[in-house]
Order: sequence, then structure tokens, then C-alpha cells
Amino acid sequence: MSTFELRDRLNERSLASAKTVAICGIVIGILAGWLALPPATVRNPALPIVLGFIAVLLGAYGIYCDEKRAGWGAVAAGLAGTALGLLVQHSSVGHLESAFAWGTLLAATLRYATPLTFAALGGIFSERSGVVNIGLEGMMLAGAFFGIWGADKTGNWILGVLIAMLAGGLFALLHAIWSIHLRADQIVSGTAVNFLALGLTGYLFIQVYGSNGTPSLSSGNWFKGESIPDVTFSSSSNFFAQVFGQINLMIWIAIILVVVSHLFLFRTSLGLRIRACGEHPRAADTVGIDVYKVRYSSVVLSGVLAAMGGAYLSVGFTHSFNQNMTAGRGFIALAAVIFGKWRPFGAFGAALLFGFSTALAYAIPPAYSDTASSVLKSGSLFQALPYVLTLIAVAGVIGRSIPPAADGRPYKRQ
Amino acid sequence: MAAASPVVLELHGITKQFPGVLANDHIDLDLKRGEVHALLGENGAGKSTLMNILYGLYKPDEGEIVLNGKPVTFSSAKDAIGKGIGMVHQHFMLIPVMTVAENIVLGTEPTEAGIVLDYGGARKRVEELAKTFGFQIDPDARVENITVGQQQRVEILKALYRRADILILDEPTAVLTPQEATELFAILKTLKAEGMSIIFISHKLNEVLDIADRISVLRRGKMIGTIPREGATETELARMMVGRDVVLRIEKPPHKVGEALLEIDDLHVLDDREIEKVRGVSLEVKAGEIVGIAGVDGNGQTELIEAITGLRHPTAGTILVGRSKVIHHANPRTMLDAGIGHIPEDRQRRGLVLDFSIAENIALHDYRYAPDSKFGWLYPKRLIERARRLIEEFDVRGGGPTTRAGGLSGGNQQKVIVAREVARNPKVLVAAQPTRGLDVGAIEYVHRRLVAERDEGRAILLVSLELEEILSLSDRILVMFEGQIVGEFPPTASEEELGLAMIGAGKERAA
Amino acid sequence: MSQPAGENPAGAPSPQQPESPYPQTFVGRLTARYRVGGIVTPIFTVIIAFLAGGIVVAATGHNPLETYRAIFNGTGLNWFFPWVTGSERADAATNLQQTLILTTPLILCGLAVAFAFRCGMFNIGGQGQYLVGSYVAVFVGSAWAGMAGPAHIFLAVTLAALAGAAWGGIAGFLKATTGAHEVITTIMLNWIAVWVGNYFFGLQGPFQGPDAFNPISNTIADSAKLPVFWGDPNLQGLHVGLFIALGMLVVFWLILNRTTLGFEVKAVGFNPDAAEYGGISVKKNYFLAMAISGCFAGLAGAMDILGWEFNISTPQILFSNIGFIGIAVALLGRNTALGTLLGALLFGALYVGTSTRQLDPSVFDPELASNLTLIIQGLVVLFVGADLLVISIWNQRRRIPTRRRTALE
Repeated sequence: MSTFELRDRLNERSLASAKTVAICGIVIGILAGWLALPPATVRNPALPIVLGFIAVLLGAYGIYCDEKRAGWGAVAAGLAGTALGLLVQHSSVGHLESAFAWGTLLAATLRYATPLTFAALGGIFSERSGVVNIGLEGMMLAGAFFGIWGADKTGNWILGVLIAMLAGGLFALLHAIWSIHLRADQIVSGTAVNFLALGLTGYLFIQVYGSNGTPSLSSGNWFKGESIPDVTFSSSSNFFAQVFGQINLMIWIAIILVVVSHLFLFRTSLGLRIRACGEHPRAADTVGIDVYKVRYSSVVLSGVLAAMGGAYLSVGFTHSFNQNMTAGRGFIALAAVIFGKWRPFGAFGAALLFGFSTALAYAIPPAYSDTASSVLKSGSLFQALPYVLTLIAVAGVIGRSIPPAADGRPYKRQ
Repeated sequence: MAAASPVVLELHGITKQFPGVLANDHIDLDLKRGEVHALLGENGAGKSTLMNILYGLYKPDEGEIVLNGKPVTFSSAKDAIGKGIGMVHQHFMLIPVMTVAENIVLGTEPTEAGIVLDYGGARKRVEELAKTFGFQIDPDARVENITVGQQQRVEILKALYRRADILILDEPTAVLTPQEATELFAILKTLKAEGMSIIFISHKLNEVLDIADRISVLRRGKMIGTIPREGATETELARMMVGRDVVLRIEKPPHKVGEALLEIDDLHVLDDREIEKVRGVSLEVKAGEIVGIAGVDGNGQTELIEAITGLRHPTAGTILVGRSKVIHHANPRTMLDAGIGHIPEDRQRRGLVLDFSIAENIALHDYRYAPDSKFGWLYPKRLIERARRLIEEFDVRGGGPTTRAGGLSGGNQQKVIVAREVARNPKVLVAAQPTRGLDVGAIEYVHRRLVAERDEGRAILLVSLELEEILSLSDRILVMFEGQIVGEFPPTASEEELGLAMIGAGKERAA
Repeated sequence: MSQPAGENPAGAPSPQQPESPYPQTFVGRLTARYRVGGIVTPIFTVIIAFLAGGIVVAATGHNPLETYRAIFNGTGLNWFFPWVTGSERADAATNLQQTLILTTPLILCGLAVAFAFRCGMFNIGGQGQYLVGSYVAVFVGSAWAGMAGPAHIFLAVTLAALAGAAWGGIAGFLKATTGAHEVITTIMLNWIAVWVGNYFFGLQGPFQGPDAFNPISNTIADSAKLPVFWGDPNLQGLHVGLFIALGMLVVFWLILNRTTLGFEVKAVGFNPDAAEYGGISVKKNYFLAMAISGCFAGLAGAMDILGWEFNISTPQILFSNIGFIGIAVALLGRNTALGTLLGALLFGALYVGTSTRQLDPSVFDPELASNLTLIIQGLVVLFVGADLLVISIWNQRRRIPTRRRTALE
């Protein structure tokens, strides 16, 4: 029989469908790289090469059967996995084990990913309702400052977080009024929010906590309030305990919110309406949905969520504040939204990935401080990884990222 | 039976004013239960405004609406829906990425515990509803994946789901194939039998005579009259719609035909959704003749024009302009340079840069050649010079060479486009819907201009949805149906003949 | 702004078409406003922003008038007042030099944003393009120390500008080929530039300078330094980069109004569909506009390095925000050459006047003041976004009553 018939026959049996094959290819490709890392630490170069080759073959099969995205994904995973595996094998085992202590690495990943997760969830709500929000950075920063200021002044971390949420909500309200009622350009409005938040938080910070020129802030002891507590299950040193045994409450809240957000957006009627406003606001209007109200709520919610992320950053993580402390995390969160295709689980996955690269950026330099490689000693290039990945995603190399249809377009009621 | 039916809806003295336009002028209308009441009028007569008022999207400045004997006011669309009025818009209010069921229940979703969406319940209800009225619809299909005719049915189901007993259809056949239109009429008859009262807005005489029980005619915002279908004739309706007996026909001197300047051979073109819209079209336009392409919108005319003007790549076939073959992957620049002039059907989107001045718009194709520019350096004064000449020659009113194009009226904007295209001295002039949205004076101007260009020896391809225009201007008429040329007619053909071909009936006969 | 539903929409009658008429692009709205409102609206915007800033100052227990006066004295603009003499005048001169030093890159970064806007794109990537230009300026300036002065400067400037053009071009290329939105890509490129620079010039980075304990690059050779024409070269006098920036304003205007490229860029910015129909390659112009914008910003980086910074350090990279101020400059100036100049002057003066060197701490804490400037900057951008609509709504309201009267007669 001809290859076409063979292919069609195979496809009929779902176990051997092209898509499954290609996905296997992706997994094998990832394995090619991952097995070279601890704890497997395979040192034989044959393994990554062979696994990578298999992945590419499977991917090619997928492409041949018209499963283009998964197929090309497998090819890419195969090539990248092989390259990564071979690269990793260049390093000594000692270095690798020092850098890739998975327990601490993953725990750090969760910590770095959490602010991103909060802000990304906020971004998803806003954009799903049709309003582009690049002011997440500013709203997060506002949450960071007002959270710590609130916790300091009231002595209570709960109130601190609530005050942070209020601050984020107010900045978001500003963005909402501009974008919805005044129908201003949403990027301009978001940029303005970022400038305002940066200036206002810096101003108030110096005003309240700075005295002309004294370095009392750098000692880190000025924050007298409660910080957000950790949730402790166990302090043993097995792998799961290392990762999940003792992590901050906010991290758990973030994970719960991811699930809640997904259920809310895709399984409730309110979520349906939010998505309708983001896809075709006039259609939603004609069936009696108040598009303005939905958009206002979504944007304010996005500010509240982003501020929660900021509050975790200051009150829960570093226990301090310094000017512009979010340092672009709001934009990484935006990248996570796009990378995750405007879906909560996708964005969470992206946030974890980005958090992982940040964790690597901090884990690798100390482990490799005695080597000659400037790349590994610096860690800065790892910090750039989230942005590079998003660039690739936006360019559609791994499948188009399509936003809600009416995202960014102001709506005028008749 | 019509006389005995109760009146469900009455409009008294409805008036609505917009800046510069009195859209509805003291309109009276009544609707009986179980009847199809057609609302007829030309584009711009005020039909849609009236219906938007009825549907709660606008508030009337004066007048009252009486529903089942009680006066009502609608504060919003939701309010109108709640009182039983359902509207099927001309531009569908459907969300492409959502399923049929989601679209139908949106806004009145069935829920568990008030929050969680009961999708299974929604699906069941949609299925039941569809069965009751005899529709065939897949509730789980995404709207972007179903045909236009099916999408319209979803719109109707939306209204039925909300227990509408008055249904308003706004130009429903504008986007349907003739087959789908027949199916729609069958559905309307079923709905009528179930006791629905239907208002059917249209500007197509033949349709209205087909489906309506009573016909009301609007003209320039005023209600001219309401007549029953029995005894109504096309001429009488046309006279009510337009206010004069005779349909506009331009005087055309006999023309001399030269060699073929545009030759299209077996052209195949796909649209954005990879559906083949032009399926093997061959035609030729000779110098000194106007060839008109008639057809219902959506039969491939748009894609054909886009291929000729370089905006879309054909997948097969050739286009020859002036006897020289044009490259397969032609872009607009190549086509323009080859000698094609294009009056686009959407002048504000494609034809003009509204924020540019008249002079800059006139230079839109030729700015990169002398005398407008040299080696990339632009000479604005020369642009202005040329614009001044053309403004005078083509009688463009409302501004000078430096006036922003967006400030001109529709008719004058079209004159600027015509001026630009004609002044380039093209071999072939493609005119798509050249008089859409224009007032009578501007229409006359454009028609006269096209004939004059024909007499200058150009080959003119006219594509229009208005049969009247085609009949009036063309020397030869081609009918396009489902992506193919299904017939050629002389300008003396009757509207009936053309109409039949446009529906595809002629095709069967020929085969 | 919307047509009454009774009239014939100008769009093709397809079922999923959004409402007509053809919506104006953002740059179309900005330009329309400029034609009618002229210079009044920006001035009005600035006044309101300053007022709001003053309210913040007052609300936190300081005197706004004295604060603004102290800031003003720090800008050196009082040098233009003939009644200022003696040592006060000398101080004002130094301050004015600083203001103009900052105005130079601000003009260029403003042009970087403005040019892209004219083509309908929002270039938030000025910061990254500026940084990339600085990196190249540092490389070229510190290598080839043996070169003659003018040639060395020319080489450094040109390569830095090209680097910026390449950085902007990446975003343009992605938009042209894949349709990727330039806001996202340029934001990403900004941060990539920051971290790459952090890597280059950080501790033990490949391009770290001679001091092993400080993350600073090499210092550029004397031959690469831009000559100072006013003030003391050893005390950061004003360099000729100002003239280059002013020259670029003219180039900007010439490109947009006297070349076919500018014609195409504007057409694409106002209406890409009509531009395409006219034979203009929309994709090519997206790429070129972003590249030219990046060129301006890269040039700004070169001006700063070759003019007064002479090297670059990682803290500098992280805290630099000239590219972002450029956004405010361009928006305030309505994407025009003259507007950019005035906007750059305003923000240059503000940032200098509130800096630690210039501002008297007993009147107002400079750290507070620099944040105040950020607040004012945010307010300016906010109001630019809104004033177009507010004023156009106001205009519409004025128009309707007259029409109504005539129709009902």
C-alpha cells in the first residue's frame, strides 16, 4: 500500500495519530537535554544526540502528516535538547550539582513566579474584556509600596495587603476611565500609569521614610511591620518538602487564584460575558450586557491582582521597598499573558518558566564563580531569557498568539 | 385573514434627528399579528434608524410606540428584548470564536447556583428550539466555521430563544446566496404560522413582493404609504420609493470598440478563508467599451477586482493588460504601472487617505515619479499645482489642494478619486460600486464621467450591486454567480433575465 | 463621530464587519488635533500637569511656589533673563549647559518615538535602542585610540546610529513579516538590551574596563570625545552634540515632508489600506520607520557617551530612562519637529532643575523633586491621551445645536 494509505490508516487509530507522535517527539527532545542535568547527569554525549535525533524524526513525521505546530515543536525541542545536553556535559558534575539543586531551584522558581502570576492573571482579565493593560508594572509597584507602608503603619500584614489592593485598584481605575470613558489610546494611558506610579511611590517613599540623605533605609531594618507568613508543612529535606514544605502564603494564594480564574473565565456565565466583551463588544451590548461595567470591573480587578503581586514582593519576599523595585516584572507578566495565550494556566506555566530562568540567573553564578565563562558567572543573560522567549512567541514561531478580537479597541455605546 | 388579525405594534409620529439629517420624520406604522410587513426604501431612507428605535438602541425625539395596546418606551436593547422584540441585524452580532450555543444564550445564560454556566442545558435548549422551528444547526460549532446562511439562522434563534414575538430582519438577504434566501423565506413562513409578526426591511423590490403581506415605503425619512401585496406592482412601488416614474438611464452615444485591453483567462482566486471565490473566470474588456458585472454581493466580485488590481494573488490563470502579460505575483504597484486604474468600492478605506490633503491623495499613486519627485526628493508645490488643475477640471467642491480629504462630502471625495485615476491615463479603469452612498447629483456625475472615459478609448470594467446602474451604463453585461461568469447579456436585457441569471437559474438552463 | 445608522455605511456589506466609517488611527487623531489646536493644547496640558504636581507638593506639606522657583533656578533658564547678572549669571550659565546637555538626547529620543508614530507605530523601544547605541559608542570610542579626532567621532557616531537602527529594525522586521505588535516586541527588546549590557560591562564581563572591582566599561579615547563649545570641558560643558540633535530635527522634518519615503510613511500611518492600494509597500515602511526611529535613539546614546559620560556602568544601564522620557516628549510635541524640540527642552529643564546638583535641598529634597518630575511626566502623557477626545467632544457639542435649529425650521 502507498504511504498515504499507511498514514491514513495510522491516523485512524488515535494511539498512533500524528499529533501524539509529535508530542512524544517534544517530550523526547526535552529529555535529551534534561537527562544531562542532575540528578541523572548522563555524561555520554551519545544520549542527547540519539534522543535529539529521534525527536527530530518524530517531528518530521508530524509535519508530514500536517500536524505542523506539534511537528515543528518536536524538531525544535530535539535540536535544542541536543544542544543543551551537549553544552551541559561540558560542565563538570560538581558545578552542575551545585547549580541545579532542584529542590531549592524549584522553590526559588515559585517565589520568583508568584508576583508574575498575580500580575499576569490581572492582565488576562483586563485584556479578555478588551482593554490592553501595559500599566501592570505601575500597578504592581503601587501595590509594593502601599503594601509595605500599610503593613508598617498598621502593624498588620493583612491590612497591608488590602491597602495595596486598594492602591492598585485606584491606579487601574484611572486607566479604566481613560481607556473606556475617554476612549484614549490604551497604550498611552498604560504608559502614563507607569510613570505616575513610579513617581508617586518614589515621592511618597522618600517623604515618609527618607530623611534628607541618611542611609537608614539601606540597613533593611526600617520595616517594623509583620510580613506575610509562610505556610509550613514540613521542614524535612526530601524533594517535595524542599519545594513545597515551607513557602509563603501568597504563593499558595496565587496557585489557587490560577485555578479559580480559569474556572471563572471559562465555566461561569460572568466569564462568558467578559470574553464576549473582549471579542465583540457590540454583540454583547445588543444582548443587554453592560460592556462599560464589565470592562471597568475587569480593569480594576487587574490592578488589584497586580498590586497583590507587588505586595507579595515587598511585604512577603524582600521585606523592604526601594524605588522602582518591580524593575520590569510587570512587563514580564505581560509577556506571560501573551506566552500563555490569555489563559490562566498558560500564563501560570509561562510565569513558572520565566521564574525558573530568574532562579537560574541567581543559582548559576555562585556555582560557576570559579570558571572562566563570563556568561555563566554573570547570570544576566539568563535574566534576558524570558524576554527572548516572548519575542519568539510573539513572532509566531511556535504558533500564533491571538489576542481577544476587540482587545485594545475602544467601544462606543450607541 | 389579515384584516381580522389584531395589531401588535403601532408607531405614531416617530421622529429622529441626527446632526444634519432628519432620519425619521413623523412616521406612522402598524404591524398585525402573524403578518410579514415589509419596509421598503432606498439606501439612506431611514429604515435602519426606525428599527434601531424600535429595538431600543436609539430613543425617538418625538412620537410613541404602542405594544399590544400599551404605550412603551425602551431604555435599552435589553428592555426591548424583554418586551418581546427580536432583531436580526444586517451585520451579525455574533462572536466568531464562540460556539453557536454560547452565542445564543449570551446575556441570559442558564446557570447552576447562579454562577456556573450550564453549557449542557444551553445546548439542549438550542437543539429543542431549532427543532421546533425546523432549523438544522450544530450547537457546538464555532460561529466562524459555519456558513453565512447558518449564521443568520443563529441570529434568528437568538431572538426566538428570548421569546420574541416580533421579529425585525434588517436587509437579511444582502449577504445570502439565492439558495439561502429561499431557505430563509421558508423559515419566515414557518414563523408566521407560529404566530410571529415580522418586519422585513429591504430595498429589493422583487423580494418584497415575494414574501410580504403588506408593504410600507419610506423615502427620505418620511412614510409614503402602506399597501397590501395583492395588486402591488413593481412600478408603483418604485415610484413610491424614488418619487419619479422612470429609472435613470444615461444617454449614451454609440461607441467604437478597439482592441482588448484587459484579458482575463481562467482566473482562480481564494479569499482570506482559503475558499475559492473566483472559479475560472475568463473575460475581456475592449477599448471603448464598458463591461458591467452584475451579481449578488459575495459571489466573487470583490476577489476578482482584488486580483485585477494586485491586492490579492490568483492561484491560477492569467491577466493581460494591454496585451502584455502581467507577472503572476503582481502587487498593486505592478498593476498600476501596467495601466490599471481602480475606483475602489470603499473610498474611505481604500481610496483615500482622509488625513492627507487633496493634493497628496491625488499623488497617491504617482508620487514616486517625476514631476512629483526625483530620486526620492518630493516637490510639494508640483503636487499642489496638479491638484489645482484637476480640482477645476473635475469640479471638486468643498476645498482646495491643501484641504484635508476627510472634510469633503462623499460625492466630492469620489470625484477626487475619479480625477486621480483618470488623470493617470490608464488603459483599463476598474470601477467597483462607484456610486455607493452618493446623492443623485454625484451619481449622475460619476456615470457621465465613466461614459466620457469610455469614449476616450479606455476599457472600463464596472462592478456594481445596483442592477439599474449596470443596465444604464454597460455596453455588455456579464453576470457572476458563485465565482463564475454564468451569462452575457446586452444592455437591452430585462431586469428579470438578469435577476434569474444572478440567482443561478440561467446557469442550469445553459447546462 | 459615528454615522447615523440610516446612512449607507462605507464598508463592504459583509456580516462580520464592524461599524463604519473608517476609524482614524491614533496618529491621525493627534495630527488632526495639531492642525486645529495648534500650540495651545500642549501648553494647556503642561500647565494642568504642573498644577496637579503642585497639588501633590502642597498635600505633602511643602510650598509649591517656592519649590517650582527653586527648580526653575536649577534649570538655568533664568540665564535668558537680562536682569540676571554676576555670579548668579555664571551659575545660571552652568545650569543651562546641563539642561542643554540633557535636551540633546531627549530631542533624539523624542524623534525616535515621533517618527514611528507617524507611521502608525508606538515605539516604546527607544530605551533599548539608546542603550545599544551607547554600547557601540563605547566600543568604537575606546578602541582605535590612534585615530584622528573627527574620523573617530564620525565612525563612533555612525556605527552607534546603525546599531540603534538595527535594534529598532528587529521590531520593524517582526511586525512586517509576522505582524507581531511593536509595543510588545520593543518592550522585550528594551529589557534584552539592559541585560545584555549588564552582562557585557558587569563584573568579569567580556567588556568590563580596567577596574576589576567596578562594573564599568572602558573609557573612550580623547579623540572620540565630542568637543565642548560652551563651558568648562573638565566640568561637563556643553558639547556640539546639541547641534547634531538640532540638525536631526531638520532631517526629521525633511524626510517627512520632502521625500517620497516620508510620503509613504505618513500614508501608512494614516491609512495602511489606502496606502497599499496606492502601491505603497506597507511592510517595507513598517521596517524602515522602525529602523529610522532606532537610528535616532542610537544616535542619542552616542551623544551622551561621546559628549559627557565617556563610559558606561551597569547601574547606569539599569537606571537610565531617557528613552522613556522621549515618549512623553514626542506625545507632548504631537510628533512634530518643533513640538519635539520644545518638549525636550521642557523635560530637560525639569530633570536638571530637580537633580541633586542643581536643587537646593533646604527648599525641597532633590530625590522628592526627581520623583515629582516623573509625576508631572506621567500627567503630561495622561492628558495627551485624553485631551484629544475631551476637546473633540466639546467641539461636537457646540456643532449640534446650530444644525438642529435649521432642520426643524
